[in-house]
Amino acid sequence: MENFASLLAGFQVALAPENIGVCLLGAVLGLVVGAMPGIGSLAGCALLLPLTYKFNPTTAIIMLGALYYANMYGGSFSAILLNIPGDSPAITTALDGYPMARKGRPGQALMTANLSSFIGGTIGILILTVTASGLATIGLMFGYAEMTIILLIAMTSISWLIGENPIKGIVITMLGILVASIGMDTLSGAPRYEFGNMYLLGGIPFTPFIIGCVGFAQVIKLINEREADEKKRASDDSKQKLSIKDSMPTGHDLGRMLPPTLRSGVVGTFVGVLPGSGATTGSMVGYAMQKKFKSEEPMGTGAIEGIAASEAANNAAAAGAFAPLLALGIPGSGTGAVLLGGLMMWGLNPGPLLFDTNPDFCWGLISSMYVANIFTLLVAILVIPFLIKILSVPVKYMIPIITCVCIVGAYSTSNSMYGVIVMFVSGIVGYLLDKNGFPTAPMLLAFVLAPMLEENMRKAFIASRGSLGIFADSPLKLVLLAVFLVLILTPTVKAVRKKMGGKKTAV
Amino acid sequence: MKKLMALTLAALLLLALTACGGNSGGGNSGGDGTFTPSKTVTWTCTSSAGGGSDIFSRKISEIMTNEGLVNGQTIVVSNETDGAGEIGRNKIATMKAGDADYNLLTFNSGDLMPMVQNTKNRAANFRILAIMAVDKQLLFSCPASDSKTDYAKAGGSQDDFAAAIEAAKNGTFVVIGGSKGDDITTYNKLLAEVGLTDAQMSYITYDSTGDAITAALGGNVDFVISKPAAASQYVESGDLTPVLALATERYSGNLADAPTLSEIGDYENVEVPVWRGVAAPASMSDAAVAFWSDALGKVAGTDAWHKEYLELNQLLDQYMDTAAATTYVTDYEADYMAENGIS
Repeated sequence: MENFASLLAGFQVALAPENIGVCLLGAVLGLVVGAMPGIGSLAGCALLLPLTYKFNPTTAIIMLGALYYANMYGGSFSAILLNIPGDSPAITTALDGYPMARKGRPGQALMTANLSSFIGGTIGILILTVTASGLATIGLMFGYAEMTIILLIAMTSISWLIGENPIKGIVITMLGILVASIGMDTLSGAPRYEFGNMYLLGGIPFTPFIIGCVGFAQVIKLINEREADEKKRASDDSKQKLSIKDSMPTGHDLGRMLPPTLRSGVVGTFVGVLPGSGATTGSMVGYAMQKKFKSEEPMGTGAIEGIAASEAANNAAAAGAFAPLLALGIPGSGTGAVLLGGLMMWGLNPGPLLFDTNPDFCWGLISSMYVANIFTLLVAILVIPFLIKILSVPVKYMIPIITCVCIVGAYSTSNSMYGVIVMFVSGIVGYLLDKNGFPTAPMLLAFVLAPMLEENMRKAFIASRGSLGIFADSPLKLVLLAVFLVLILTPTVKAVRKKMGGKKTAV
Repeated sequence: MKKLMALTLAALLLLALTACGGNSGGGNSGGDGTFTPSKTVTWTCTSSAGGGSDIFSRKISEIMTNEGLVNGQTIVVSNETDGAGEIGRNKIATMKAGDADYNLLTFNSGDLMPMVQNTKNRAANFRILAIMAVDKQLLFSCPASDSKTDYAKAGGSQDDFAAAIEAAKNGTFVVIGGSKGDDITTYNKLLAEVGLTDAQMSYITYDSTGDAITAALGGNVDFVISKPAAASQYVESGDLTPVLALATERYSGNLADAPTLSEIGDYENVEVPVWRGVAAPASMSDAAVAFWSDALGKVAGTDAWHKEYLELNQLLDQYMDTAAATTYVTDYEADYMAENGIS
């Protein structure tokens, strides 16, 4: 109850005219920035941080919070329309979002993404409001051993993306792990696979790599398909015009969307709270979990359930990540670290005492997240009809446009040409792989998850002096292990039973 | 298609040309041997925006601009994180004279260590303009956390580091957590001083001190190395207990309870200074070096620097001019290389 009283006081702060103003500004800027591939929430917040110095801390963090939040919405736009995930949490959105847009339902795909983002986010904020500091303590229970098992669970999502040829899928997963291990070893600082090259010392930067593998590879593919596309366009004059009404999901769509959204919202929030995981792991765990439930269309072919599971989880995780930040002063993600830097510059001391010493600030931020969530949804719905026009642009114009977007996105990650080179190289490699039947999605997921898995697993082994017992010595770990085992064993058991069943009927 | 290719090429060439053009322009070392900046100054920070080094760089440039120390010119902070920062440092090290007068670099002990480990660049490839602040570390523990480690499960005392040393010698495994760079060096020195091996008392590297403190709060490590500023709030709230001052004398305030190493046994005190400094290209003219070293000295004397930076981050005020800083950094590097067997 006390929390709700504080929340109401927080709304008084958040609903002050200047705070509503900056919240709206943050929502619009966040959508724009999030929709641009390459400039994720991290860069967006870092770029806008200096703008907020003139504000008072509460107003400033409200703007940054709205920005961070809206970014998660924006990231799905380019993922669905162009198959270029703007940010790592959007990878899983692209898996179903892009096929669905190609099926002629781009409006519904965007709408699903936005609505499930909204619901997932709301679930996250509600949980944050009710438990506040308690949630952060749950996060503390997860050490390296627990994180290792969680990451293994997230890794199982790769198996669903491998495609028809398992060997090719495994090869490409290994390639992703290999590429991820370039650079400095996170625990010992020793360089790996850098071949004396100073650039490789810092590893392969994530955003240019993903923009190249997915976005630029797409461009090369489009160049090949150009003529076919023009012929198709010439014959297909009755191009339908999409309005906001046409983009509305039907009642049936909403029914399909709701269960995964609710599940992912809750799971995503908890994943967001865990140290060092954030929205990316959130969306992958959400997506992996959805595979275990029934979807009307197979996942990966444009299923509404897939988009909903991924988007709801990543927005919920974005909200959940605020719990350790506010309650313990621990940033749950890179963006959290930038926000933390901001807090310190404004003279606030983030840490376990923040809720006691600056309640107006903490609760103002939490309540502004409700406001930001609604604003972002409204703005996003209004721009959908304009966004889907992108799809009716002829391919010959799309090729240079997407190329430009790819170059700008790759450049902006570290403000250097190195990113652009990485983007071009991985684009060409990505195209060749795709052309030869190697799916690139497993590579990207392995690239993101493998370093985290390695880091946590090695920490666990250091602490246990190499004993595997550390993964099974508490009830929490046993539960997580059981979930993991169920996930990997069900398909095997099912296959065996099917085989046995098949034999019986044959006999 | 050919047309498009030609256009793209033309655009790229144009870009390249403008990029080259931007780099030209000479320095302004006046005829009388003094230097006054007459164009925009670039301040390279090899860490990402929002972190400690970034705040350090931006604070100094803000004070320099506000106090009118740079002849009304702007200072642009550029975050160059390619190659874990080595690309940015190498660019400064190899910069040609002229431009060199307008380029500054944030250079900390945490930058020097990986640079010396992984590249051929040494402190001698830069002009060290000043040391602006020094930090030291402490060892903290979280007695209230769940017992997850061997030492905690064996009932080891988390308030008493001497007991942990004894336990480690008798075969109970002790785990220390901390950040990269400086903290690892401190851990190695501590280990050598108390005569343990890393199989008896191990170290887990975290991405940041914040992550390491999280691990301590969750009971995943027994002790955590941190600078005072990062741990201060947790000490105040009672979550962390300071157990050992990694310094030659005790700290003051709420950290005063932590003894130094020589107080808890027959050991020498372990102190590894963590310094924050400013460097410049080796080819920077002497006049410009004198100008910048002096300007940084003026910054170190301002109220804004003391209140908004040093006090806020609980750092020691330890300005050194270019001569003193160069000797200091050179000695530090020689020590570090000797300890790690780098030639």
